[in-house]
Amino acid sequence: MRRFARPIAVLSCAASLLAAPARADIVYVLNSGEASISVIDARERTELRRMPVLREVHHAVLTPDGSTLVIGDSGGNELIFMDPATGEIRRRERISNPYHLEYSPDGRFLVVASLRRDQIDIYDAGTLQLTARFRQPDKPSHVAFSPDSRMVYVTLQGTGEVAAVDLTRKETVWTVPVGPEPAGIIWHRGRLLIGLMGSDEFVSLNPETREVTTAFRTARGAHTVFPAPDGRYLYATARVESGVWQIDANTLEVVRRFDVAGGPDCIAFDPDGRLWMTLRWLGRVAILDPRDGTMDHVRVGRSPHGIFVMPRREGMRADFASIMPGAVSGYRPLPSPLAARSGEPAAGHPPPIIAGAPVLAPGPVVTPARFFRRGPWRVEDAN
Amino acid sequence: MWEWLSDKYDLLATWIFETAIQPALYSLGLMDWAEDAFTWVGFFLFGLVQVAVVYAICRPLEAWRPVEPHQDRRFIRTDILYTLLTRLGVLPLIGFVIFFSADAWLAGAMADSGWIPPNLEEFFPVLRDVPWLAMLVYIVVIDFFEYWRHRFQHTFGWWWALHSIHHAQQHMSFWTDDRNHILDDVLQAAWLGALAVLIGVPPGQFPVILTVLRVAESLSHANTRIHFGRLGERLFVSPRFHRLHHGVLGAGATGRNYAVLFPVWDWVFGTANFDRERFPATGDPEAPQAYVTGGWLRQQWEGVRQVVLALLGRRRNLPARVPEGD
Ligand SMILES: [Zn+2]
Ligand SMILES: [Zn+2]
Repeated sequence: MRRFARPIAVLSCAASLLAAPARADIVYVLNSGEASISVIDARERTELRRMPVLREVHHAVLTPDGSTLVIGDSGGNELIFMDPATGEIRRRERISNPYHLEYSPDGRFLVVASLRRDQIDIYDAGTLQLTARFRQPDKPSHVAFSPDSRMVYVTLQGTGEVAAVDLTRKETVWTVPVGPEPAGIIWHRGRLLIGLMGSDEFVSLNPETREVTTAFRTARGAHTVFPAPDGRYLYATARVESGVWQIDANTLEVVRRFDVAGGPDCIAFDPDGRLWMTLRWLGRVAILDPRDGTMDHVRVGRSPHGIFVMPRREGMRADFASIMPGAVSGYRPLPSPLAARSGEPAAGHPPPIIAGAPVLAPGPVVTPARFFRRGPWRVEDAN
Repeated sequence: MWEWLSDKYDLLATWIFETAIQPALYSLGLMDWAEDAFTWVGFFLFGLVQVAVVYAICRPLEAWRPVEPHQDRRFIRTDILYTLLTRLGVLPLIGFVIFFSADAWLAGAMADSGWIPPNLEEFFPVLRDVPWLAMLVYIVVIDFFEYWRHRFQHTFGWWWALHSIHHAQQHMSFWTDDRNHILDDVLQAAWLGALAVLIGVPPGQFPVILTVLRVAESLSHANTRIHFGRLGERLFVSPRFHRLHHGVLGAGATGRNYAVLFPVWDWVFGTANFDRERFPATGDPEAPQAYVTGGWLRQQWEGVRQVVLALLGRRRNLPARVPEGD
């Protein structure tokens, strides 16, 4: 009866993590169907423990300063602020149904999309004061920002549209139809890439002209797309024909396909470029190494959704990906990758595996100033 | 063993979903419902397991010590249909589809009002680390509210017009638990929904506890001459305890033993009967014929008619009085 051993497991958690002799990366998996978070040893690929949460955890994001993992418990109406290095919970905040959440690139706003109540909420990231709330016609699903943090774009699953919300004016400035049942959405080089669950297509939406074109095709039930930290590839998922597609980030051409059964949902990357994917219908996490196509599985709780890889390597931080070229794409695209701090190694870039695949020359790494690393949202200061 | 079993169970749910449900959703253009559909596949499978477990436990007990030795299966068929429609998710799914938009609107309105439903773990932080204990506390609180809902079903004429269907069964068996009018089911959902606004929803990750509750509620209707002993009768609702509530006299006149799981509420509010020797015949002599012998559809239709009659003050079958102690 492992369930009954939980309180003890919780008490000993911090100690056991600190006592781990070899510092393997730690992976957190949010089991939405089981009110728990699985903590996985990335090297041994075993579950170290399960942390109880209130009801239903779906997504996790890092605070803009990279110090804290924020986990949304949509059924329990709370945000959990966790130290990703130790698994210690620093504080909790009561907030209405935080299903999908994301910070703006400048770190000023926290945006929550709630599918269940057809609303999008804009909070002040530091104080968690609600500054605006929008009703949306039907099922706001995923959100992505523009790199200048002026706009947030939301897929509306029920109506097949994308809505653009102006964060400074606090109003929806336009909505455009994009196709059947849009799900995932990311910013990628001046465009929005959107997965259409009702088709095999990812479309590209130009936010200036609002023109929608086919970006690339995967298979039936296109779902979400994630930029790899190295900036060379995007990885797109589909659900009905379950799999993951490696997409060239420059040309948006499909490079190769990996069959992954079980409905891959969220993807996190480890510093070696491996993909950690939650398999929503299978109660498992798949670990895919795109360099050789090998795949491994770890059993977790029911309906795993959000996932986060915490590197535990010398000098590497939770937000290691933010200093890498891929940081300019995604839900929270940075204007440019952050500069590495002194003594911080760049994560290992996996070499391109496909002969003849176009290689992206990484752009210059310029950081204006780390203006948002000292914001009021620093959770340590709040305690 | 348990891990192995639950893994195989999950794989089965996944297989059903991926081979049958999801492709169908895709071709119907309903992929935005995929996650809900997966939940319903789980509901259906879990319902099957529950029905099987309930049957495996209650049927032998009914055969062992029946109150009514030769129950005609014809009278039970309607109750079996009630059980399958409810437990395998047919009626709940229809409710979900009908009320989905209203539910989203209500949730939005509540968020707008600034009210965030609290949960019991906030009041008792120790429950955060011991989810199964939190679950038990929820069960007790919900059971308290269910006691009162049941009291009201017997108090208001229009509500009794619906609940009378549950009591009209003269050949009560463990299948009778789900014999409720769909309007009554909707009222229950609203009642528990209102409670959820006050104390949140209970944790949902305890299939074993949920199955135990299901067995307990079904067993309390079983056609079996079983009581739980002097102490047990006061701790848990037994077949004897609930049969007394279903007694021919109980339904219309005396009004006893309303509790669903814990008799303590009847004891606290003075409606308990702990006479361990009484296993009365069940039924409601004043119920319309359709309630007694009609099939599912006829009972549903008649239920609507009876509610209207009750609201117009033209129904003679009046609810129970609460006794002044006996
Ligand atoms: Zn009753
Ligand atoms: Zn009953």
